[in-house]
Amino acid sequence: MPQDPVVNTRSARWSSYLMAFAITALIFATALYVSNYFNNRRIADIQSTQDKISIDILSLETQFELLAQHSCRDISENSVLSTEIQPLAQRLSYLETQSNVNQDELSQLKRYYSLLQIKDLLLMQHVAAKCKLKPVFILYFYSNKGDCEDCEEQGYVLTGLSEKYPQLRIYSFDYNLGLSALRTMIDINNVQDNLPALVINDRPYYGLHDIEEIEKILPQLAMLKKATSTRSTTTQSR
Amino acid sequence: MFEILMYPLLFLTLFFEVFLLVSFLERRFSRPLITAIPDQYIPSVAIVIPCYDEECTVAATLASTLALEYPREKLSVFVVDDGSTDATLANVRAYMANHSSENDRVHIIAKENGGKHTAMNVALAETHAKFIGCLDADSIVASDGLKKVMPIFAHQAIAAVTPGIHVREPSTLWQHLQNVEYRLSVFNRFIFAGLGSAFITPGPFSIFRTNVVRELGGWRYGHSTEDMEMALRIQEAGHLIANAPQAVVHTATPSTLRRLFRQRVRWTYGWLRNAVDYKHMFGNWRYGNLGIIILPAAIISIFSGMYFFTRIVLMGLNGAYSMYERYYYAGFHSKFNFDPFYINTSALWVLVWVSIIMILVLISVGSSVGTGRRTPPASTPLFLLFYSLLAPLWLFAAVFRAIFKTGVRWR
Repeated sequence: MPQDPVVNTRSARWSSYLMAFAITALIFATALYVSNYFNNRRIADIQSTQDKISIDILSLETQFELLAQHSCRDISENSVLSTEIQPLAQRLSYLETQSNVNQDELSQLKRYYSLLQIKDLLLMQHVAAKCKLKPVFILYFYSNKGDCEDCEEQGYVLTGLSEKYPQLRIYSFDYNLGLSALRTMIDINNVQDNLPALVINDRPYYGLHDIEEIEKILPQLAMLKKATSTRSTTTQSR
Repeated sequence: MFEILMYPLLFLTLFFEVFLLVSFLERRFSRPLITAIPDQYIPSVAIVIPCYDEECTVAATLASTLALEYPREKLSVFVVDDGSTDATLANVRAYMANHSSENDRVHIIAKENGGKHTAMNVALAETHAKFIGCLDADSIVASDGLKKVMPIFAHQAIAAVTPGIHVREPSTLWQHLQNVEYRLSVFNRFIFAGLGSAFITPGPFSIFRTNVVRELGGWRYGHSTEDMEMALRIQEAGHLIANAPQAVVHTATPSTLRRLFRQRVRWTYGWLRNAVDYKHMFGNWRYGNLGIIILPAAIISIFSGMYFFTRIVLMGLNGAYSMYERYYYAGFHSKFNFDPFYINTSALWVLVWVSIIMILVLISVGSSVGTGRRTPPASTPLFLLFYSLLAPLWLFAAVFRAIFKTGVRWR
């Protein structure tokens, strides 16, 4: 029904002000709660992946032992890094951009992820040595502290490269993560604090390198099968 | 600094929307100021049609005025041609030649161009009617419009009554967007009157108590928005302004973005300049809801509109640059994987969605108040999507002009 004509005095309605303030505050509190709830769900989601990572680490260690006693046929030629874990880096990277995320939990998840990558790298090198394979891989070191101008662009390049060569293994590490195993790897590869840094064929390269430059540095890429269709997964965490 | 403003502005925006809704609901459950509208209150009324270059619409406006269901001897009409350069005056005279029986109550006045306020004042000086109304020459009033308005004046404290204004025959995209906006305005006008805080008496069919207008000194230039200036002056003098949404007026609206932009720059510019002239009312408890909430909120809404627009543009540019970089360095990847993990559930987005839902509710209430149907116009989704990006364009232009006092053109 159409409303009646309306008019009233303009004397302040303090009760309405208070009620509106209370409702608005409630809406804000609800919005914060909802946001927090979904962020916790995301953390839980990643934690479940983290459990899988733990199992994968155990599996890796077991495979190391098996490697000593079995032939190359028994060792999977595929990456031990399961496809389920591939998008984890992207998810971690996304969570880093969100407010209201527990940074300690996030950092712990990143440590686990980095540890798995190191384990996978070691296994791959063992398999390669035993089975006389020539693995093609890149180590990528980045920083999220705001002190690396080209890290974002380097991330895009490596994403493009992994799209182009699905068999290429790219291991990405947050240089400042504070993980002792990672620190040891940085020392072994003699990676300086001049990021972004790529380690290709045991040699560090600093600064932004595009796809063409990497293809020149790593001619073995030409032997890898190129992607017939595009893929959207990536292994580097930014 | 830029980031710090976001949540306070969002809080104020939401608070104002909630306050209007709370006030609307409270009004439904409390006793209104006017409890009984008399059936018979038929004082003399003069309707003024000020016109400048309205050759296409003035005849229809005049016809709708003469068709008003009101005692013939109580209603007089003043068509004041404000120095039109087209055939407005000739068309009015031609219309009257074909309706000679109305000649005794239609007064045609031709004068040099001086602005709408001068046209209104010429009629004010001429009329002996107890009430004087304005009807823009691009508007058409429903035949029962005056019947809905006049009984409200039986309450002596009421100095002016505003109608329910709707878009006339929307056809272009811009008019459909305005159609939704006008529903929101129907709600605002309604609830502002309910809070004793109406601060605009729009050109299409606002009716005034003649003696109050004379006491206040007639219409003023008001920075090309004499309807805002007059309403603020009425409020300043302590009178009441009522709203009768059932008194329906359809008004022509700009059909192109260029015309819409020019009209809105004029409105916003006029509002800002009048706000400066009446700054003593802002935050002044003496003016109740008007001073404490409505006027400050009207100013804040301009700046929050500009702020959120700037944020959206910066976010858009940032996103576009990232996409460009991604394409430049990694090539184009057409495969799209939907992952609910990446749905944005930040508090900011939740609040933005709540705010959009609130606007939808206000439009729906406006539709209910104005038309009796709660269903918003079909173009409401377009309005919600684009209008918040469109409006800041004229807000920026108007603020710039207001700061440098450049003045604005009517057309």
